[in-house]
Amino acid sequence: MQPFQHQAATSVADTIAILSTHKGRAKLMAGGTDLLGILKTRATVAYPKVVVNIKSIAGLDKIQSDGQGLSLGALTRLADIVDSEVIRDAYPILAEAAASVAMPQIRNVGTIGGNLAQETRCWYFRYPHSIGGRIMCKRKGEAACLAVKGDNRYHAIFGGKKCFAVCPSDMAVALAALDAEIQISGAKGQRSVAVTGFYHPLGNVLETDEMITGIKVPRPAPNNRQVFIKHRVRDAIDFATVSVGLVVSMDAKTVADVRVVLGAVASGPYRATDAEAALVGRKLDPAVIEKAAEASVAGAVPLSGNAYKVDITKTLVRQALQI
Amino acid sequence: MNTRQNDPEQERRTIHLKVNDKDYALAIGDTVGAVAPSDTLAHTLRETLGLTGTKISCDQGSCGACTVIMNGKSILSCMTLTIECDGARIITIEGLADPATGQLHPLQQAFVDNSAFQCGFCTPGILMSTKALVDQNPHPTRDAIQHALSGHFCRCISHYEVVDAVCQATTTEGDHD
Repeated sequence: MQPFQHQAATSVADTIAILSTHKGRAKLMAGGTDLLGILKTRATVAYPKVVVNIKSIAGLDKIQSDGQGLSLGALTRLADIVDSEVIRDAYPILAEAAASVAMPQIRNVGTIGGNLAQETRCWYFRYPHSIGGRIMCKRKGEAACLAVKGDNRYHAIFGGKKCFAVCPSDMAVALAALDAEIQISGAKGQRSVAVTGFYHPLGNVLETDEMITGIKVPRPAPNNRQVFIKHRVRDAIDFATVSVGLVVSMDAKTVADVRVVLGAVASGPYRATDAEAALVGRKLDPAVIEKAAEASVAGAVPLSGNAYKVDITKTLVRQALQI
Repeated sequence: MNTRQNDPEQERRTIHLKVNDKDYALAIGDTVGAVAPSDTLAHTLRETLGLTGTKISCDQGSCGACTVIMNGKSILSCMTLTIECDGARIITIEGLADPATGQLHPLQQAFVDNSAFQCGFCTPGILMSTKALVDQNPHPTRDAIQHALSGHFCRCISHYEVVDAVCQATTTEGDHD
């Protein structure tokens, strides 16, 4: 790796001070499994002057639950989410999504904050500088998106604009299905952003002097059902080709409330609102499920090589509703 | 970039590691034998401490070849900065066999008995994940073994023999089908 300076942050305020001092030339490191990959390949032009270890901030890895909901510190490790009794009991979709991430070694160090803020896996974006030079693209602020005319089998089918890379985060899908909020601290103070509003086509809403400090998850309605299904080529390590997060609560026999969120189909977790509308107030019978599955892909605009994602999406939504 | 010039605090710092029960104190800096801030643990183990049993294959956190046990958990040493490991207890493949007699660890012997490798490059990493698993769960099911080892690539396709070897090494009557 190219050299960089290294600092260990002692608190959130300390981290923000370091970020403010270096104005975009500092990168935060928690588990590091995403950041080090990019630094090694030098896929992006900007290389940090300083890498800031935030694992040294005490108390930011807590899982806390009360009647209102769940609160996760940004440094909560994915393995701890998988093992948490509280989460398995009331928020099982989070444990399922976390268990599906990568491999045990990565879940042992990877954090929820890092999972949400990870960079896309687009192979044009990630192309290593050491093999013929990095590939410039819209996401790097130069030239157009190469996926449009290139190999786009893993790219977006919804809302593609400028950049067609997809958000690889599984936790974002599960958290969006639970209507969670991301807590952010920065030089200008604190703010809270819905998980669905955290991403935009070229990345996320974090300013260079901001960091994720935690996640707030409202307690879902009693008797709700949570499902997370992840389709991928191989059942380990691979990122999702399409995933679905479903949280549904019933009134006697009809759907009272439902959130259907799709992963790896857009620049962020994609809420299939048409599918939700097709479900609310209805019984979950085969005809309704079929309608919802069709509605989940309303407005999809596949590229030359990823129309198969439309079929996978419909199948996953159908499966999730049938469980 | 000369970090010592920019940060006098850093020059005085030392990283303490306990690797296979042996203590190491490594200075931070860019001289020979020191740890640069950008050095990965895999690099330090191999190039600075001479423990070349830990392999670097993809160097991107995808293949599992560099797996070591840190503070009781399997981790990827290629995706870990040494500078962030101060105070860590690390076990590498060199720490499995009995240091006094050289006798192989039962897991290593089971891999030999089952021919659970061909070229052997991925084997140290697989053994470390296996060790981390059986330390937590001495009698894992076949399914648990497959999940625990899911982060390991073997281009020679030794996976079947590996799972058999781990089953054999951890079996009690009727544990595995």
